[in-house]
Amino acid sequence: MTWTIIILLAVGVASLRLLGMYGGTALVRRVPMFERLGSLIPAAVVSAVIAQLTFASGKSLTIDARSAGVAVAAVLIWRRAPIIVVILAAAATTALLRL
Amino acid sequence: MSETSTSARPEWGTLIGIGLTFFAIGVTVNVLVYEHVGSAVKTIAAAGIVLSATSELAYIAVRDVGGSVLAALIAGWVVASRFGLLAASLGTRIQVGHLQRSCAALNCLDPNVGVAMQQTTPKGVITAFWWVTGALHLGWWCGTFTGVFLGNIIGDANRLGLDAVFPALLLAIIANLLRQKPGLIAALVGGGLCAALLPIAPAGTPIILSLTGAVVALKVPEPKAATS
Repeated sequence: MTWTIIILLAVGVASLRLLGMYGGTALVRRVPMFERLGSLIPAAVVSAVIAQLTFASGKSLTIDARSAGVAVAAVLIWRRAPIIVVILAAAATTALLRL
Repeated sequence: MSETSTSARPEWGTLIGIGLTFFAIGVTVNVLVYEHVGSAVKTIAAAGIVLSATSELAYIAVRDVGGSVLAALIAGWVVASRFGLLAASLGTRIQVGHLQRSCAALNCLDPNVGVAMQQTTPKGVITAFWWVTGALHLGWWCGTFTGVFLGNIIGDANRLGLDAVFPALLLAIIANLLRQKPGLIAALVGGGLCAALLPIAPAGTPIILSLTGAVVALKVPEPKAATS
């Protein structure tokens, strides 16, 4: 990864963020339906990231120690456990299953 | 994710959890990036100016399987396009000047937008956003330096189960959204679609297409108690 690549990657990512903040926000405000859509986007997009981080292994889907760790986290979240307990339990479960 | 009674600052337990998670991400990601880049300065610079672990990983993943530089860059950008969507979502809820708005845009990540969007007032949204941003930056930078300079000692960070920490944190952050039907539908459709498309779609696109979840959830009546 050269300096040029790092800068190109950074400029692209920053542009997308700024485009969303200015262009996307303007669009959302202009069309009333988009305002409610905007409030639902975090749930949809963050869930997709969770799915990818939990089940993706390269280009395939897998259920492994990591998935078990996230499943334990889900149960603790449902039981309204503190967030620190949730992430420590996820890591501990995953690590133990990999022993 | 609840607010304190007097301010929009998230609870300290939430902030510490986010900081610890980003420490773990900083370590795991930057051990990999350092191995690929071979330069501590470049690794640290990339961590700071790209500020997207998934973009860096997407670039490296495509290059590692023989993809061209352009293909790798596009993968990195596509993966980061979700931050544009999150920024658009955040932008509708804040009332700040252009400088702060631009700074917020450049710092948009999953956890800070996820927590901020659960606040009920524009001031609460931006306050929560910056508290979480501070916590995640603190963790990210400590993790980055640890990964770069102590990576050899730590070895395989996934052995410690650190790869489960980020999805667990994100799940905790959106938990309140999932307790309402529209948010639950958006999450189930978005997450399910992403998982279904992962094996067949180009890197990053399943996450973009997860927007479908939000569109489908529009058909679900809004709860009367909703504040947004």
